[in-house]
Amino acid sequence: MAGKRSKHEFRANTLPALLTVGPVTLVMVLLIAVPLIYVAVMSFCSIDEFYNVTFDFTLENYVRLANTDYLKIYAQSLIIAFLTTIICILIGYPFSYIIARTKSRKKRILYMLVIIPFWTNSLIRIYGWRTFLGSSGLLNALLIKLKIVSEPIEFLYKQGTTILGMVYCLIPFMILPLYTAIEKLDGSLLEASSDLGAKPVNTFIEVILPLTSGGIFSGSLMVFIPCLGYFFVSDILGGGNSDVIGNLIERQFQSGNNWPLGAALSIILIIVTLILVKIYQKLGGDMDSLGV
Amino acid sequence: MKKKIISVVSAGALLCSMLTGCGSSAGGSGDNGELNVFVWTEYVSESAIEAFEKESGIKVNMSTYSSNEDLLAKLKSESKGAYDVILPSDYAVEYLIAQGNLEELDKDRLTNLVNIDETYLNEAYDPGNVYTVPYEGGVACIAVNTSKVDKEITSYADLFDPSLEGQIVVLDDYRAVIGMTERSMGLSMNETDPATLAEVEEKLLSLKNNIKLYDSDSPKSALISGDCSVGMVWSAEVALSMEENPDIKIVYPSDGAYVFLDNWAIPKGAKNYDNAMEFINFMLSAEAAQMNISDFPYLCPNTAALELMGEEYVNNEAKNVPAEVIESGEFVSYLDTDTLAIYDDMWTKLKQ
Repeated sequence: MAGKRSKHEFRANTLPALLTVGPVTLVMVLLIAVPLIYVAVMSFCSIDEFYNVTFDFTLENYVRLANTDYLKIYAQSLIIAFLTTIICILIGYPFSYIIARTKSRKKRILYMLVIIPFWTNSLIRIYGWRTFLGSSGLLNALLIKLKIVSEPIEFLYKQGTTILGMVYCLIPFMILPLYTAIEKLDGSLLEASSDLGAKPVNTFIEVILPLTSGGIFSGSLMVFIPCLGYFFVSDILGGGNSDVIGNLIERQFQSGNNWPLGAALSIILIIVTLILVKIYQKLGGDMDSLGV
Repeated sequence: MKKKIISVVSAGALLCSMLTGCGSSAGGSGDNGELNVFVWTEYVSESAIEAFEKESGIKVNMSTYSSNEDLLAKLKSESKGAYDVILPSDYAVEYLIAQGNLEELDKDRLTNLVNIDETYLNEAYDPGNVYTVPYEGGVACIAVNTSKVDKEITSYADLFDPSLEGQIVVLDDYRAVIGMTERSMGLSMNETDPATLAEVEEKLLSLKNNIKLYDSDSPKSALISGDCSVGMVWSAEVALSMEENPDIKIVYPSDGAYVFLDNWAIPKGAKNYDNAMEFINFMLSAEAAQMNISDFPYLCPNTAALELMGEEYVNNEAKNVPAEVIESGEFVSYLDTDTLAIYDDMWTKLKQ
């Protein structure tokens, strides 16, 4: 009797729970928890004379990262990410506003203009920029043809080029949440504001901006964080002159062959990310609008 | 009914091709077993592999890597016996031998070893060629676009000249760039003394303003397009860029070049040792070596192949690197982890 009952309970409660939550939990554990723990453990490991990872506990990897040279690259990385985010807001906001406020078919076309490049491999698009901006590239050829300049301008391999590439790659992440926020904006509030005598500037600053700030925050977070890790952009467009944290990590796992140090760098990046997400939540950000 | 038979047959054929693995190529593949080859990308000619398959009836499964560190990491992480033939560079050979990770070669079966120029045998990383035989090699040399640079450049030391500000493409490889700095100061590329390395660091950082681009994958593109007018890159890259842009000239540094030599080897525990020996011997043949250098014009130690290539190739000093360049050059060697940490920190400083 008792056996039958527990069988019944298994069918009624445990089984559905296992079937619905089980796979998700399994995926989360295997693809997120296990790798994270692996990286965290590795960051405290040592290496032997042949660069094999050995499980001797050490803090040396973290001590090495406190070095001023690494700190400078962190700072550089944060500056690049900050500038990228600001530029993304400045370009993305008006653009999202226009899409959200456009009616009819044009809206879909504008929306697709953001989405379609986003589907193309970003590495290929970044190589495209390199060809376009090169000293024998299309842009320089055009400028010379129009007699605006006599010698090709050196666009490539500067910090500015890295930021350009980052903005280009990441701007959809800014536009999409902004679009959602502006779309939700209640038109009657804007009418009320103008009826009460506010100038368009005041309406924007006091009504529109506060109501869409959620979109700005989530967009900023989704631009800022990948920016710290997009090493290929700084490699290809920055020519290796403007490293971000991602470059440091990549180097330790490849040519540096020092996996524990690379793991420690990854942990630092994860901590920076967590701090930013915490700030986002403190500012009243909604985790759902990040798409997580 | 007929349709059904066709579909069954084709399904069977599909299954067979899946079981034998895709990518099987021409020739009586598979009759005499198979061979797992793990080599540098863009380095071993497809036609040479096909010729081997045809002649031996052995099926070759080729996979590639793009740095020695990649190779070493894969050997570490894959199960033993995953690869039968590998192609490590000098210092990686030294490392693999030190760890006991290579099988000895059966010299009696290397009948084509006579084709190899003795200059390239018996190197310090494998005295007596017990574990390895040379394949191709090259030099980290200097490329100069003579239409843009007036200054005469003859050595690594000249690259530090302030007039070259923002003009140089260098390999994105810390041992190569730091090694070049050491050679320019008259030091070895494998210095370990911390005090000396502090001086090297100072010199290295003075190069920072001259470097426009770090690129190991295809530094020739920046040279050909004119984005960079000077380069410190692999010799074959210069050879190929010279074909596209006749203003580019190759300079072998007078202060002694960074030299590398890649070698055939068999990792410990290889499952197809006999096939691997047959493959290596085939690659040492004049015909196979000729196919390889036709596609990838690196330094070729195979004298028999050079004879087949004819005058034009032999006289092209970018492709056929002069022997004295190799003799006056230096190999990178495997350094202890503490020293490499200093090298790595220097590199981080340079790139910030």
